[in-house]
Amino acid sequence: MDSNKELLLSKAELILKEAEKQGASQSQATINLTNLNLTRLANSIIDQNVAEHHVKVKALLYFGKKKGSVNFEIFEDTDIKNAVSQAASLARISRENEDFKSLPNPKKYPSLNLGSLVCEATYNTTPELRAEYAKLAIDTAHDVDSRVAAVAGYVQNTTSERVVMNSLGVAGYEMRTSSDIELTILARDGAEETAGWSGDARRDVRDLKVEEIARVAAEKSAEGFGMKDLPPGEFEVILEPAATAGLLFYTSMLGFGARRHQEFMSYLRDRIGEEVFSEKLTMYDNALDERLVGASLFDDEGVPHQKVELVDKGVVKNLVYDTLTAGKDGVESTGNHAQWWGPAEPIARHIIAEEGNSSIDDMISETKKGVLVTHFHYMNPVDPTQGVLTALTRDGTWYIEEGEVKYPLRTLRFTDAIPRFFKDIDMIGKHSKFLTRPPYGMIPGMKLPSFRFSGSKKE
Amino acid sequence: MFTLHSEKPLKDMTESALEVCRNLGASYADIRIVTIKDEDISVKLGNVSVLELRETIGFGIRCLVDGGFGFAGSYDISADKVRRIAELSVRIAKASASTRKKPVELVDVKAVKDSYTTPYKKNPFKVPIEEKVNYLVEVDKRLGEYNPDLIKFTNVDYRSHSEDKVFSSSEGAYITQKIVFCGGGFSCMAISPGSPPQRRSYPGSFRGDFSTSGYEFFESRKLLEHVEEVAEEAVTLTTAKQCPTEKATVLLDGHQLMLQIHESCGHPTELDRVLGTEAAFAGTSFMTVDKLNSLRYGSDHVTLVADSTNPGGLGTFGYDDEGVKAKRVELVKNGLFVGYQSSRETAALIGLSESSGGMRADNPQKLPLIRMVNINLEPTDWKRNEIIEDTKNGILMSTNKSWSIDDKRENFQFGTEIAWEIIDGEIGQILKNPTYTGITPEFWGSMDASSKDDWRVWGTPNCGKGQPPQVMYVGHGCGTARFHNVRVGIMGGK
Ligand SMILES: [Zn+2]
Repeated sequence: MDSNKELLLSKAELILKEAEKQGASQSQATINLTNLNLTRLANSIIDQNVAEHHVKVKALLYFGKKKGSVNFEIFEDTDIKNAVSQAASLARISRENEDFKSLPNPKKYPSLNLGSLVCEATYNTTPELRAEYAKLAIDTAHDVDSRVAAVAGYVQNTTSERVVMNSLGVAGYEMRTSSDIELTILARDGAEETAGWSGDARRDVRDLKVEEIARVAAEKSAEGFGMKDLPPGEFEVILEPAATAGLLFYTSMLGFGARRHQEFMSYLRDRIGEEVFSEKLTMYDNALDERLVGASLFDDEGVPHQKVELVDKGVVKNLVYDTLTAGKDGVESTGNHAQWWGPAEPIARHIIAEEGNSSIDDMISETKKGVLVTHFHYMNPVDPTQGVLTALTRDGTWYIEEGEVKYPLRTLRFTDAIPRFFKDIDMIGKHSKFLTRPPYGMIPGMKLPSFRFSGSKKE
Repeated sequence: MFTLHSEKPLKDMTESALEVCRNLGASYADIRIVTIKDEDISVKLGNVSVLELRETIGFGIRCLVDGGFGFAGSYDISADKVRRIAELSVRIAKASASTRKKPVELVDVKAVKDSYTTPYKKNPFKVPIEEKVNYLVEVDKRLGEYNPDLIKFTNVDYRSHSEDKVFSSSEGAYITQKIVFCGGGFSCMAISPGSPPQRRSYPGSFRGDFSTSGYEFFESRKLLEHVEEVAEEAVTLTTAKQCPTEKATVLLDGHQLMLQIHESCGHPTELDRVLGTEAAFAGTSFMTVDKLNSLRYGSDHVTLVADSTNPGGLGTFGYDDEGVKAKRVELVKNGLFVGYQSSRETAALIGLSESSGGMRADNPQKLPLIRMVNINLEPTDWKRNEIIEDTKNGILMSTNKSWSIDDKRENFQFGTEIAWEIIDGEIGQILKNPTYTGITPEFWGSMDASSKDDWRVWGTPNCGKGQPPQVMYVGHGCGTARFHNVRVGIMGGK
């Protein structure tokens, strides 16, 4: 395995040195080197198959409270110098940002076993191995039922190295590998098309549960025939782990990020300390949990990750912060700075909800009139300030009555508010035996007593 | 800002990459070498929160070997790396081929040598950044001053983008292009005790409106002149009447109609989706091949086209990333579903003679996919005011706030920032939290008017698709349109 640690650190140092020459009062260098390989399945063949090598370099300079940054994908020293000088001229013409106090000071990184984040076999995954996995998935699924018509999905492996350094002495480096697979399997009988889904993620590509998830997804598609419509209304709902995960991600992103609070967008504004959720819900963010495929030492500004309690027995405990938002509220960063889509903001990307003891079968047998959901599609906030979400069911939804699965359902839309549907939780399941990539950590299935389905294909 | 660090001229680089692919057995290969520059400025609550330049340089090689496609790309444009990436793309193609039942076939395209630049007057990158920052700060300041007791959040965004692409194929095409766009917008949020926050944006939400034009486009949107009107609307919304829950006649204008077209016509007519390529992620489509030329998609008044030649459209270019020349393709003609957005591979799969020219990648190291160009609703002979005057009872909804649509693109639900009652042909009071839901063909089947005088091509740089994910900039031409019997007021959870 080739680590580029020394190279990345020396490039980051060059950025800081150049920033100092330019007269910056503080500076930060970030470098992400990513090798991403993704084999995409559709119609039971490999349909798209790509390898992408990226380097993302960022120079961020402060002149007092004025900042400028340059993001680039070039590694040559002359270009780095050029970029830093550009960032300096941007910072000089910018305006004072009164919210800015300082970039983060160095803190000791936790004693996470760094070696455990990297797997040589994943690093060395070949296009041929991904094709083998693809064929295994395709064959397994078609063997489950003759009506299985199309296997779709992907097999992916990535290796990433990153460095964050700043002029105050922060210096973080980590290398990680991961692999994951997701399958959506379509079945047809001439009259109907059904679908099933499952997925798994591992740091060691050899541990991916390819056959098992192919079987789960294919069985769902085979059991999906005879779909009926359900009129809109309030029902009990049984959420498989992937369905819970979608809801909990929005619960945390819309509610617990400090930026959303400061910008009046959070549905939990002024509700910290309040018992907003069911006492059965305990949820935290913890990137340091080595069980997580996306386990990681530090955030995108080099602040060590830590366990942050979000909900304790239903009570809203803490927000997640980065350095800028923490400065504004006069607290410390929780190590949640995330530079992903849109402007950087603090987000929980390693969500763990405490598990319970119930199986999905237990939940079914406790249900009078309810809906069993595999996962949701196209979830979006209708009104983030009230926590109202909408999304559609997908890849396997069933109607449950008097403790029994009655029949599969056509696509349903829900529109409901997080603080309403998570106010009561009847039962909590075990964590899934399949793992996931960030932003999900470990999330169990759940049964809720009331969930509002607002529409279906037949309105 | 940067220089390409290749030891050889670009032309030699593309030649040698294609040569490597050919020598290793590729029946077809292409290479794109791309430089992308972005300039992002955001001002928020009086602070310049983002002032950033971004630059990407890289290349991607796609090749067809033994009937399967492979793709590989890198940021490192050294001769040695280009050769190794070409070899990798061949190896990946062979792995794909090992699972195929039938080899990939491509419809013909004329291999041209050409160059193209989207027209602009003022190069947005040449306008001093200081001037842009000052303008944005001024807009933000005026928003904040409008009603400081109620307007608690303000932000203003601007972006310039330029893309230099070289496309070269083993069939002999060599095309250079420069795509330049810019745009932006502002939003503000009013909060009054006892009312949930209400946001208003101009000219559109989610960072504004964009066009393949020069800085003159951003200037023409006249942000400063709209501050007071938009801020006042946000304030009014905090005490406005709730959008009723009922079946209503709905008028949608520019920024919302654009997204309605995007989600319910743009995505379902992408032929890769239709053929199952996106089944695992974005989903498939109800507009299946057996329905081509028979499905009533909408009323007689509904004609929708994919047009990559609209001046200023955000989906406008000279050639797509397969070297197919920009063109206009009908998707829905007078209500009848008649066409798809396609690629060379997907067009061949359903027996079309040519690609619609819709293949684009958002980054040099990404695989081109079928992406919307400008998907436009052709105007009918109405003026916007005439539609309003002709409406006895209705709701005019404006500026997208939320969206969601199922995996076959049939069941959608949208929310907008603001709505107005229309009573007896006149615009009445403001309604808050407007939402509506429907089924695609029923909804478009109820459209009886769309206007010409306010028709223009809106631009959104936020369309997501693919695995690994890509974000593409696309355009939508539309005016104001009227729909009947629409379910409105779906709030849920209250
Ligand atoms: Zn889209």
